[in-house]
Amino acid sequence: MESIRVLIVDDEQEFAAGLAKVLTRRGFHVQVALRGEQAMDLMESGSFHVALLDVKMPGQDGLCLLKRFRQMAPGMQVILMTGHISPDEEQSGRLVGAFAYLLKPHPIADLIELIRKAAGQGQSPPRNCMDGPP
Amino acid sequence: MRERYMELRDGNRYRFMFRSLVTKMVLVSMVPLAGIGGANFFLFYHLNRSVVLEQHANFLRYHKESVESFLNGLVSEVVSLAHQYSLQEFKSGALERLYRINQGRGGLLEDLGVIDSRGDHVRYVGPFDLASKNYRDTEWFGRVVQEGLYVSDMFLGYRGVPHFIVAVKRLDGEDFWILRATVNTDYFAKILDAARLGSTGETFIVNQKGLYQVPPRSQGSPLDFSGFPHLEPHEGIKVQELKVEEQSYLCSSVWIPRPKWLLVFRQETQDVYAPLWKASFVGLMLFLAGGLGASIFSVAVARDQVRRIHRADLEKEALTQRLIVASRTAAVGEMSAGLAHEINNPLATIDTLQTWIRDLASASPIPEEDRQEILESAAKIGQQVARCKLITQGLLKFSRRVEASPEELDLRQLLEELLVITRSRARVENVSLEAELGQLPRIRANPTHLQQIFANLINNALDATAGRSQARVFIRAWSNGGKVMVAVEDNGQGIDPQDLPRIFTPFFTTKPVGKGTGLGLAICHGLVQNMGGEIQVESLRDVGSRFTVVLPAIEGGLELEETKEHLGHN
Repeated sequence: MESIRVLIVDDEQEFAAGLAKVLTRRGFHVQVALRGEQAMDLMESGSFHVALLDVKMPGQDGLCLLKRFRQMAPGMQVILMTGHISPDEEQSGRLVGAFAYLLKPHPIADLIELIRKAAGQGQSPPRNCMDGPP
Repeated sequence: MRERYMELRDGNRYRFMFRSLVTKMVLVSMVPLAGIGGANFFLFYHLNRSVVLEQHANFLRYHKESVESFLNGLVSEVVSLAHQYSLQEFKSGALERLYRINQGRGGLLEDLGVIDSRGDHVRYVGPFDLASKNYRDTEWFGRVVQEGLYVSDMFLGYRGVPHFIVAVKRLDGEDFWILRATVNTDYFAKILDAARLGSTGETFIVNQKGLYQVPPRSQGSPLDFSGFPHLEPHEGIKVQELKVEEQSYLCSSVWIPRPKWLLVFRQETQDVYAPLWKASFVGLMLFLAGGLGASIFSVAVARDQVRRIHRADLEKEALTQRLIVASRTAAVGEMSAGLAHEINNPLATIDTLQTWIRDLASASPIPEEDRQEILESAAKIGQQVARCKLITQGLLKFSRRVEASPEELDLRQLLEELLVITRSRARVENVSLEAELGQLPRIRANPTHLQQIFANLINNALDATAGRSQARVFIRAWSNGGKVMVAVEDNGQGIDPQDLPRIFTPFFTTKPVGKGTGLGLAICHGLVQNMGGEIQVESLRDVGSRFTVVLPAIEGGLELEETKEHLGHN
């Protein structure tokens, strides 16, 4: 079975790195971006099944990034995570098509389940001609 | 000790209030009293003066009449004596008879003499040895020959004693003779003896040359030069103030027609106005008594008023304290979203790391590289806990007891602590919060009040910029000439010019219902003023606002000196 490719975008470096290690050990293929721009670069160079997106980030914030992800990769599911829950944000997150909206800290086991679920629901990532055969 | 110092400062304030109230009340009661007193004195002075002048005039008029009637009686007495007998009868014993009758009636006439037209004494009765004297060349002889009747001024004559005479000429065919009578001067002077007034009022008579005819009781004797300077003839009674040898007198004078003598009544001015001074003294005593009464009353009223003000101040202070607590709670509420975010992030990291540690530790035995990983993760958990601690400590410091007392502190450190907890909110609101804090002199202030002021200003700035692009709040602190300035600047919505004058008014707010209490700036303003500082505001609609807090720095040992002095007095 093809491993689920996950993009983590979070300015909390330790959190992103820790989560990446945990997910990798569980067989996910994980890449980390600390800023919106970096995430865009990774999106250009590869495709992901699921993106974990922090809402509050300096510069380009999560919601902004979500909208662009929806355009670039409509098949990719996005899970929003934030340390600060706001009904307005949750609403707009869902409107733009987020798969889930989570408050940090969220139990890791649940999160893993959610990522799997999201990957299952999403279409398989669009093939990129540069990718070669699966 | 610090609390005691504050109490003293408060005590001084109320003492000052008390003093100024007493002063005002005493002035309000005493100024009109002094005005009335002054007016009364003025009126009384003029009334007294006119009464005195009237009294002088009446007194003098009365005495003029008695002197005149005495002289007239004297003249008619001598004239009737002269017509009672012929020269022959006088020569043969009539003169002696008349003299005896005169002596029996009290001796008004000192002596009598009959003088023939050659000036020789034909007959003389009296105590002096004048029978052989010739008067042809004397002044009075000439005058009586010419005028028929003559009353002389005082003169010494042959006898060498001051006296005056009345002489009557009788025609006897071709020839004439003269009856001359000398007036008993003691008898005459007695008429004026009674003419006194007050303790210094006295009467005297001078002739046209200024020689005393009757001297004042207190000085001089007949025929001394009186020095009385106003001898020009005048009608009726003349009143004037005179100064003689440092002594001022009130003088009234009147001319007597025959002989041409000036009757003078004089009284020392001091004596004249004695009733006035007496009344003034009583008035002054009343004024002082009134002043004392007013002062006692004022002190009582002022004490009561100051006590009331003090009580009102205490109540106001208590209310302010409650408002400060309320506004503080509101500030914490406003920051809570940011604080939750700031704590949830490390918690999420910790959670992730503990999962990672568990994953690694589940293998048995644990490979050496994984052991290293576990230790590193544990260290990272430690760091995240420290991060949470910083936030919770900042929050704790912020919610410290409000009643903390003023202390010497470093404003820069306080601002840095405050920035830890406000920065999290800025991050949530996506506002860039920057600070440029220079080295600052120490200030004396209540730290919780300072936190309150700057938390309010920063929260307001964040509110003003929330949701705007490129939002920025900038905090700058610097010192300038014994003052510490802290500016909180934002590029937010700004304040409407018509709202600017009202922003420090309690309960005024432009925030939506349920968001702001309208107390923040009012409390900031009150607290800054209490510290002896001020808040300046600059704002432009859609450009931003800048609130600058100016606080006095502690200057060297000056503050300490002052403290010692205050303590020393009590």
